[in-house]
Parts: sequence; structure tokens; C-alpha cells
Amino acid sequence: MGKVCTLSEAVARYVKSGDTICFGGFTTNRKPYAAVYEILRQGQKDFTAWGGPAGGDWDMMIGEGRVKAYINCYTANSGYTNVSRRFRAAIEEGKLTFEDYSQDVLMLQLHAASLGLPFLPVRLMNGSGLTEHWGISREEREKIDSVDNDKFVYVDNPFNPGEKVIAVPVPKLDCAVIHVQKASPDGTCIIEGDEFHDVDIAVAAKRTIVTCEELVSDEFIRRDPTLTRIFGMCVDAVVHAPHGAWPAQCYGYYDVDSKAMTEYDKASKYQDANDAKRQLAKAAEKAQKAAEKAPGDARAAEMAAKAAAAAKGAEDGTAVPETFQDFLNKWVYGVKTHEEMLDKVGASHLISTKNVPGLGYAGKIPERTC
Amino acid sequence: MPDYTNYTKQEMQAFAIAKNIQANQIVIVGTGLPLIGASLAKRIICPSCHPIVESGLMDCDPVEVPRSVGDNRFMAHCAVQWPNVRFIGFEANEWLHGEDRLIAFIGGAQIDPFGNVNSTCIGDYHHPKTRFTGSGGANGIATYCNTVIMMQHQKRRFIDQIDYVTSCGWMDGPGGRERAGLPGNRGPQMVVTDLGIMKFDEDTKRMYLAYYYPFSTPEMVQENTGFEIDVSRAQLMEGPDPEIIRIIREEIDPGQAFIKVPREK
Repeated sequence: MGKVCTLSEAVARYVKSGDTICFGGFTTNRKPYAAVYEILRQGQKDFTAWGGPAGGDWDMMIGEGRVKAYINCYTANSGYTNVSRRFRAAIEEGKLTFEDYSQDVLMLQLHAASLGLPFLPVRLMNGSGLTEHWGISREEREKIDSVDNDKFVYVDNPFNPGEKVIAVPVPKLDCAVIHVQKASPDGTCIIEGDEFHDVDIAVAAKRTIVTCEELVSDEFIRRDPTLTRIFGMCVDAVVHAPHGAWPAQCYGYYDVDSKAMTEYDKASKYQDANDAKRQLAKAAEKAQKAAEKAPGDARAAEMAAKAAAAAKGAEDGTAVPETFQDFLNKWVYGVKTHEEMLDKVGASHLISTKNVPGLGYAGKIPERTC
Repeated sequence: MPDYTNYTKQEMQAFAIAKNIQANQIVIVGTGLPLIGASLAKRIICPSCHPIVESGLMDCDPVEVPRSVGDNRFMAHCAVQWPNVRFIGFEANEWLHGEDRLIAFIGGAQIDPFGNVNSTCIGDYHHPKTRFTGSGGANGIATYCNTVIMMQHQKRRFIDQIDYVTSCGWMDGPGGRERAGLPGNRGPQMVVTDLGIMKFDEDTKRMYLAYYYPFSTPEMVQENTGFEIDVSRAQLMEGPDPEIIRIIREEIDPGQAFIKVPREK
């Protein structure tokens, strides 16, 4: 059976509920969003997620309740949302089973998985909250098959007796999903720019889905093997998905869609309309109290009036702000395919995110002043 | 002609960062103020420095200010694009080889007198009042590298007991790092805030005020610090020349991504 298929076929075949899964990319760079949206549409859930340097990808999965355990080190659309909001709300409301590692350790764990190591000794996390606190307790861990029973174990360095090092488990990935610049039908991939942990997870996972900006022939991709990064035999499905990292950036191709990132930043403040009502009512109450405390403060009074109007608009339904749910209905559930979504984003807008050769991002060429 | 004498607190902080980068240092930066400071150093104050980021991009010299450490703006203008694990190995090997070339900028929400930093949560770890991103690369950086910590100087942030230690400082004082299994010859060198520069006493490892700015005073620093801080050694650090401010506003961050220019009065 050939590997080239549609996004819907790839996700249906290779992403299963209950998977231990990892996405490629780095916060707002080369995130496999097209596949993430397709997973959301198809409904797979109960993931044990190795977040890595995550952003909106895992924030959406968490907001949609698809995550059984979140092994994380950083979740932010850096520069737009400093702490991903559905991730943050889920932890603050006690709704997410999560574990914290440092990014160094988590990336080394993924690398160790690609090397097939049994466990990984590190000199990291010593003395910090990362060793003092377990996000998932031993008792809980024993109940979750996909999570190791220990977050870490202190071991003696066998080659330097007396040196205490930290042994961490190595993830057993069922599935990896990555987005690359070029792939060919046999699965060979070219990644331009930083590979991040993408090559590691493609090797480590039992099943790997690749979406690509350009699908090129097997002959073309191996014209210069110094550029290829992933051996085709590590890949199960190849999907042609131009702009498949939207609204994240993709080196050599396009920049972050600032408009969409800003939209998500605002929308993801509220889970849904009821949450918006609740939060805005609370904010109005707080602003009102502040204004009462400072009589004669015109600015405080103005803020209170603004907050009251926002709360009223949400309450009576005349001005409900866009919510996380609305964002997904608009860009994910409201379209059937990636192509339909691209039509909705619009050709001229997508073109405005194109990278300028030489600069490496979408922007104005600095003018030389003489 | 725009006014370049009206520098802001943030611009003073960026200037303070740049002044503390030394020749040939390898500087681990994130985004925001440390990057502005490092860019300023790279351009005029200390052009021999080598900015690197934890995503693995080495010797970065971005044209436009990047928004994240994995940004195409870093990627397109650096010497080497390493994967993140290579960066971690480099950091560890610098320590193993006894090299003293790295200096790293990290930030946080809370800090204690020994420079231990919290960027994980406020309140109980399992039921936090506020959850942040967590470690990112900060824990590893604070393990293996000398650090400069960037903070907003507020009483609620400078406290005796922080809620979670994301990045280890001098732990509980002299010998604390060794007892915790951390390299003892690495640790926080200074804290740069919007009110001044704190350093750590060689004997006690406690924070003291080393410099205040033209617009701050030692009294202001004590008022905004939630623990006793020695201000007896404090000296005045002069503000930046207008040319420095011109470079920040016109060349480094013209889009005001991180530093807002004050409105002309």
C-alpha cells in the first residue's frame, strides 16, 4: 500500500484513541496544525501527550478534553500568548493530569527514545521543584498504563561511585505527527531550518504521519542527500498539506499568521459563551469594587463602566466575545478539510505571510540609508 | 528630531544587560528585554559576544526582533541550526571542560534572597492560583551556567519563600548547590530589575544592592523588596547616552515589540 494519502485517511489509520503521542515543531514554528485539526475533527482522545515545546497545538487538545496525561515542559504561543490559556485554566481548575519536566530533560527523553535507550541518566533537575514535586503521584501512575510508575529515580553513577544522578524514563511513542517542507512518496523528508525534535520522534514512534508543504518525486528528493533528514522507512503516511503549519511559521516558506495568533490569544481566554459570561461578570464586579474604593478616580470609574458593559453584553447575548469554542467552530469543525480551511483564510492573506528570501521571514527589506 | 534623552525603565534595564556582557562571552538569551540587551551589546557595546538560544540556534544576529526562541528571525540569521539536544550537550560540556564562557539570562515570577527563581506557579503546585509555562530551558540553564536574572522589582515577587523552585540559585546559602548535587562553581551572578542591579555576597550568597539607577534610590529598592536587603554597598549607575537609546528605538526594536517608546509630551 502506498504511503501517500489524504489527511483524513492518514489520521483515521494512524492516530488512535489512547495513543502515547508527540507532535513536532517548536511553540509557533512548524507545528503540524493541519493534522491537529483533523484529529480534533475525527474525535480521537485519551492521549498521553509528550508536549515538548508546545503551543496552540496541545492547548487546543487540552481545551477539547482529549488529553489523559500531559507530560510537559513549556506551553505557549510565545510572543502572542505567554502561557497557553486552556492549558493554564485546566491546571488551575484541577482538570488536567500533568507532569512537569524541564525542556532539557524532556527533549533528551525524546532523543533517548530515538536511540532506543532503556532509561536516561541526567544531571538536571537536581535541587528544584522538578524533583521535589510529582505532578502525577506514584499511586496515580500505577493506574495509568501509558505512564511509567516513577517520574524519576536517583541512581548511583556506576562509573563514578558516589555520584548521585537522576534516571528518567524513556517515552514509548505510539504515534508521531510532524510537518516538513518536502517529502516524497516513499516517506523521505527534507526539513529546512532547525529540525527540533522531529527526527527523534519520527524514528522513535511506532507510527509516523508526515504532512508536507511540497510533495516531490522520490528521484527529486534524493538529488542531494545532504538535505534529507528522515529515512522513508520511518514514515507511514505522507500527506500533501500546503500551509499545513498555519497559523505557525514554516522556515523557507511562510511566517506566523499574526492575525490568527492574536485571534486565538483573545478567543482562548474563554472556553465558551458561559465561561465568558462568568469571567466578565467577575471582572465587572472587581472593577466596580475598585471604583468604589477610589471615589473621584475618573479612570477607575471609566474602567468599571467598560467592564460592566462587557459583562452585560455577554449576559444578554448582544456582545459575546469570540471564545475558544467559537475559534474551533470557525477554523476546525466548521470546515471539512484542510483545503476548505485555506479557502477561508484566503489567498491574499496567506500570500502576505510568505517569507522574503534573504530575510527568512515576512517583512520589509530594510532600506539602506545613504 | 526625536527626543532620545527620555529613556524608560525598560531601556535602562536593556542597557544594564548590555553593559554586563563581556568580550567573547556566549550569551544565552530568550526573547524580550534580554534579547534587546544582547542585540545592543552585539551592535556597539560588546560586538565580540555570541548570542545563542535554547532551541539550538547558535551565534544569532537577527535583523528584526524575534518573538520566540524558535522564530524564523533567529533561524535565518545564525551560524548553526542545532537541534535542542545539541544545545543541552554544549551547555553541559562547557561545564565539564571547566570553561567559563557562558552567561545566561532567565526570568521569573518570584525570587528569594539566594536567587532561586520560580516560573512554574503561584500557590500550591497541584491547585495553583496562577500557573505559568514551567521550566522551558531555564532549569538546565540554571544548573550548568552562570545566570543573570531579569525581574520586575515588586515586593510580592522578591520574597523569602518562593512557591516553587524552577531554577536553582544559591539554594540556602554557601555550599547549598553542592549539597543539592548541582555544580557549585555556577550560579546566579546578578539580578537586573527596573530599579537596580543586585549581586550576591561572596560569603553569605545573599542578594545585596550593587547599583541603583538615576531614577531610583536604595530606599525604593528596599521598599519594593519583600526581605531585608543590604543596600550599604550601592552605587549609582549612570543612564544611557542618547545614541544608545536611538539605536534601541530606531534599529533594534523599531516595531516596539518589547520596548514601548514614551509619547512625546
